[in-house]
Amino acid sequence: MLDLINENPSLLLLMEYFEIDHAVNDMTVQELCRKNKIDLDVFLIFSNLYNDFHPNLQEVMGTDLDVQVIIKFLKNSHNYYKNDKYPEIKQYINQLYNHQNSSDVKRVEVFFNDYFNEVLEHLDYEDKVAFPYFKQLSEQKVDIKKCVFSSNEYRVHHTDIETKLSDLKNLLLKHISLNKDYILRRKLLSALFELERNLNIHSIIEEVILLPLIEEIENKLKR
Amino acid sequence: MSRCRINIAVIEPSQIIYEGFSNMLLKSEDHYCLYRLSDLSELTNGLNLKFSVVILNPAIIQNKVNSFLKIKKNFPDTVWIGLVYCFYDSELLMKLDDTISITDAPEQIIQRINNLHSRYSCDANHNKDLSEREIEVLMLLTRGLSSKEIADKLSISVHTVVSHRKNLVEKTGIKSLPGLTLYAISKNFIKLEDHLT
Repeated sequence: MLDLINENPSLLLLMEYFEIDHAVNDMTVQELCRKNKIDLDVFLIFSNLYNDFHPNLQEVMGTDLDVQVIIKFLKNSHNYYKNDKYPEIKQYINQLYNHQNSSDVKRVEVFFNDYFNEVLEHLDYEDKVAFPYFKQLSEQKVDIKKCVFSSNEYRVHHTDIETKLSDLKNLLLKHISLNKDYILRRKLLSALFELERNLNIHSIIEEVILLPLIEEIENKLKR
Repeated sequence: MSRCRINIAVIEPSQIIYEGFSNMLLKSEDHYCLYRLSDLSELTNGLNLKFSVVILNPAIIQNKVNSFLKIKKNFPDTVWIGLVYCFYDSELLMKLDDTISITDAPEQIIQRINNLHSRYSCDANHNKDLSEREIEVLMLLTRGLSSKEIADKLSISVHTVVSHRKNLVEKTGIKSLPGLTLYAISKNFIKLEDHLT
């Protein structure tokens, strides 16, 4: 595991989402997963995503992936967005405004705050509506015929929260010039890039891995 | 920095060939992002990605040329390359944009992919200023007008408005309406007071 982390330190974040202690000693990936009771296949598919290797549908459906681990992972990443990364970005923009006092930066701040509220709403919906349903479904505690919510509804409502983030990044990189505060702006941009990459992986997990799995469980239960 | 990320889909049933091929691409200095697909149908469902290049084993399309051509039509900006390591009818290979053979040298293969891809370069529109018409469309958009309303106002077709909008997004890199509004204000195309009245 140590070798993997050395090669790609962004796996530290993945471990955080899986609730794995970062001090891995000399454990292999298999030992680490066993110790933390994490489905090895889920761990491998997710780690590969962090290394830009994408799973195909066969890999997802062929192995009996642990849906609960996936949901735990996604929930933890929501916490990271809500309590860590977005507030960090908000703080940078706020500092930037305090230094610059420019109306452009003020508008960036308003744009970001509106966007952040949208994101919070989206994450809240997933945490409170979609994920509990998926969890019950994976425990087979749901009477599918009486259920009002479904994965299809989730698919329809699954909004894109990456577009405005990329807009924000491009505004700062291409269109809004500042004459100082380069350090602060670099920090802001790095945080935006990091978040963008993370959200990208996040939506692949939700759309390409979790959703097909949930749909399969639903179909089984309907029979 | 000028080169953008190239999304490549690989449809190759052999694990060995796929891994060898992907390792070779990933070792090059270009920014490739590889996706292994098991079938053509995966291009159209599931992944909501835009592939610049699809590399496939011609055996995949051998018995379904018609459905392949249909799919190909739906992806006009994608380059289709056959990965060849046994004999195929030349007519079948003609349906693809190009072929590479596994006996080709890695540098050659990479150069080939880049050449083909640059024909459809994704940053053709970068760093160009907006045309006057595009600025007009942008200003009306930020006032909340729909494409149809803009078309009526400027006496042009909706189709033309859509194409201006597409150019706007490509040139500015900004997709959302609030983002475009912010852009327009920062470039002084519109003033906030205009907006409030």
